[in-house]
Amino acid sequence: MTMDVRGIRKAYGKKQVLTDVSFMVQGGQCVGILGGNGSGKSTLFSILAGVRRADSGSFLYGETELLRYPGRIPEVIGYVPQTDPLMEELSAWDNLRMWHDKRTLQRELAEGALALLEIDGFLKTPVRKLSGGMKKRLSIACAVAARPGILILDEPSAALDLVCKETLIRYLAAYKKAGGIVVLSTHDVQDLTICDECFVLKEGCLRPYVYDGDFHALAEAF
Amino acid sequence: MKRAASYFLTQLKRVLRLLPAQMGISFVIWLCVGLLAVLLVSQKADEGQDRYRVGLVGDVSDSYLGFGFAALQTMDDSRLMIELIQMEETEAAEALSRGELTAVMRVPEGFVSSVVSGENDIHVTYETAQGQKGLAAMVMEEIADAASTLVTASQSAIYGMQRTLYEQEGADRVGRETDRLNLMLIHFVLSRSGFSEVEVLGYADGLSLEAYYFCRIILLVLLLAGLSGSVFFLHRKTALAGILRAGGVGALLQITGEYLAYLVYLCVSFFLPFCLLAFALERGMLSLPEWEGRGAEPFLAMLPFFFAAAAMFAAFQFFLCELADGIVNGLLLQLICGVGMGYLAGYFYPAAFFPERLRSVGELLPTGAAARLAESGFLEKGAGGAGVSVLAWLAVFLLLTAAVRQARIRRG
Repeated sequence: MTMDVRGIRKAYGKKQVLTDVSFMVQGGQCVGILGGNGSGKSTLFSILAGVRRADSGSFLYGETELLRYPGRIPEVIGYVPQTDPLMEELSAWDNLRMWHDKRTLQRELAEGALALLEIDGFLKTPVRKLSGGMKKRLSIACAVAARPGILILDEPSAALDLVCKETLIRYLAAYKKAGGIVVLSTHDVQDLTICDECFVLKEGCLRPYVYDGDFHALAEAF
Repeated sequence: MKRAASYFLTQLKRVLRLLPAQMGISFVIWLCVGLLAVLLVSQKADEGQDRYRVGLVGDVSDSYLGFGFAALQTMDDSRLMIELIQMEETEAAEALSRGELTAVMRVPEGFVSSVVSGENDIHVTYETAQGQKGLAAMVMEEIADAASTLVTASQSAIYGMQRTLYEQEGADRVGRETDRLNLMLIHFVLSRSGFSEVEVLGYADGLSLEAYYFCRIILLVLLLAGLSGSVFFLHRKTALAGILRAGGVGALLQITGEYLAYLVYLCVSFFLPFCLLAFALERGMLSLPEWEGRGAEPFLAMLPFFFAAAAMFAAFQFFLCELADGIVNGLLLQLICGVGMGYLAGYFYPAAFFPERLRSVGELLPTGAAARLAESGFLEKGAGGAGVSVLAWLAVFLLLTAAVRQARIRRG
């Protein structure tokens, strides 16, 4: 399956945040979106996840136009926003249960995403007692337990330690291998190792970028 | 819809997790209100003993004057309000400055002889401290002035009558007629309270003071109960709201799910205090004039009215907490709005004391609608217009909350 985004535009009042965002991703690939603070990455991701509406543009997944049929988005897309969407008072299991049925979770715990993300160690722990890395893994688990075709991650590695980053990258590699599409935004060059293609979001448009290890060149591209 | 139901069930789980902490805070609030109620009741019981202390200074040795003051302190209605204490000049001045006396009534030297001689050019004076110059002081000043005028004017009448009798009929009838006129004048003074008829209408649709405060204090607790439930509004995450919306659970469905779960919490947290109230009413430990001898039955019958008010207050709280940025701001907003609106609707002082325009505003407010509903319930009338107002406010608050949530999701 292919993800094809064309001509996404979005303005907040008079401020045009996205002027013409277009890109395409094949199944089993990962795309990294880079950009400075306030460049519109989160806006773009929230539009793709169906949280906000675009002023215009299209988003095809296979043959389905998702912006026209937003009801299909939850089946197709797993979205992990920058701040975790978890309920602090509830356990990890209760948070997962809000999004998925018991059978799905048991399957994923046995051999799927939840096993890869090593969630089973803190299933009964209240979210407020979890570390940042655990919360991030749990947020991803909530998004992917139903095995969506596209995974959208907004700065997934922010504030994670090296071990957590390693677990995350290992999981994303497995997700790609299973044919899933990953779209992530990041400020961390380590995350780019998992990306097959990179774009820089600047002045509302995406520009292809090839990271060759030159950090200064990357900073200038912002 | 399946996801909306799942969200509601998750919120119920949250309520269960938060319940012990919330119950603890609720217990403290109910305890404070209970103490306030006990203080109000005991203050009411003491009201009969609170009298204004007035120092009596000067020449009161005259038997006629002494009889007058004795009559005031034993037979006149003013004895319930004023306590007259005979004192020395310096002692009275010190007591007045210490605030132990409300005022000093001074009988000037020569007052009695002025009355006896028929000159009547000296009057009793009334002195009070600057800080005591209120309505009560003015009333007492009027009483002292009236007493002074009555004594002098009465004596003038008696002397006039005696002079006329001496001139026309000799001394035979003078003694008898003087006694008769004296008694008549005393009778006029002592029975002056019968000149007018006072009808006590009660507060708000004829409720007794006890019933009025019974309703308003419970409503005040229901209004401020939101403060104890504020834990429920901690850790609200716009990210979660956004994903839910993308998943088909829109802002209104989210708010409805949260609100219904919160209502379950309210029912649980009010269960015990309401049981205690019903028990106290049933056993006669708490009695209200309107429900005399009826036990807890009328109270139980009006519980749905209180529940409707509580549900509307909860919607109001949802709106404020959604509007405010952060739990502290939400708490402050709840407290300020709750106390302000409660005050205007007569939760602290009877609304009957307020100017007409302020009272009309108070009745239009959600707190006013809740008060009218509670009063209807208390008087065993139907919910009527008050019920419609309360439901309308509830709907308005939920819709406003959903609109604010929607805007919050859009803003990110």
